[in-house]
Amino acid sequence: MTRTIRLEIESRPECIDLLSNALHGICHPALPAGEIARINLAMVEAVNNAVEHAYHGESDHSVWVEFDLMPDHYRLRVCDQGQPMAPGRLAATPGFAEPDPADSVTWSTRGRGLAIIKACMDTVEYEVRDGVNTLSMSRALAGDGAANPIKTA
Amino acid sequence: MVLTHRNIEGIDIVALAGRLVMADVPQVRQKLLATVEQGNGKLVLDLADVGFMDSSGLSVLVSVFKAARLKNGDVVLLHLSPTVRSLIELTRLQQVFAIFDDEEAALTRLR
Repeated sequence: MTRTIRLEIESRPECIDLLSNALHGICHPALPAGEIARINLAMVEAVNNAVEHAYHGESDHSVWVEFDLMPDHYRLRVCDQGQPMAPGRLAATPGFAEPDPADSVTWSTRGRGLAIIKACMDTVEYEVRDGVNTLSMSRALAGDGAANPIKTA
Repeated sequence: MVLTHRNIEGIDIVALAGRLVMADVPQVRQKLLATVEQGNGKLVLDLADVGFMDSSGLSVLVSVFKAARLKNGDVVLLHLSPTVRSLIELTRLQQVFAIFDDEEAALTRLR
């Protein structure tokens, strides 16, 4: 059986917790806590990007999330109608380099959101169609329902 | 997000409670940077009651760490929840932050 939910918020950081709470509601207790935390992190990072970059921090815009939970995988889509991400930005986002404790330049404070999303999910795709920007993410669920470790490579 | 501050032997200990996410970042960054500025740059961040953190929350930790280093101080992390520890390790920031499960050990590191 597929569980599907569509949620919409105003593009304000204060509203993002509402999405997290609703997502937890649909995933619990079907998924283990670690898997729910992974989905929540990817969703929050994607919505943060929509609020901060697509809408440049302006409220009064819409961000919506569609989540499909199926027995063997799930799909998560985060949509906005703001400024699209630069072409190739997603593909060009690198993984995490080892920071050097002695070199503050390597302690980057920006640009971690997409890398986190890519580490959390099996597939991440970005599409702009009819003025709607959609970041689509999916991940297979382990047969026993156990959460796999987050990729660190 | 609730911040509780105390000081032991010149070392600031700030306990955070709640979700450290984009909505809370301006307030938390301001308070932690003020703590570093007014103190001697030695700070323990007790994250036992932080159940969730995103990349904007991480940016606060790094900003505060940089500010402390400018004062020849240090910031250490205490009592990470599994979710926060996973995020720290995913982003490799355990290479930068010393992490403790025991407050006395964290204080010893900063003495």
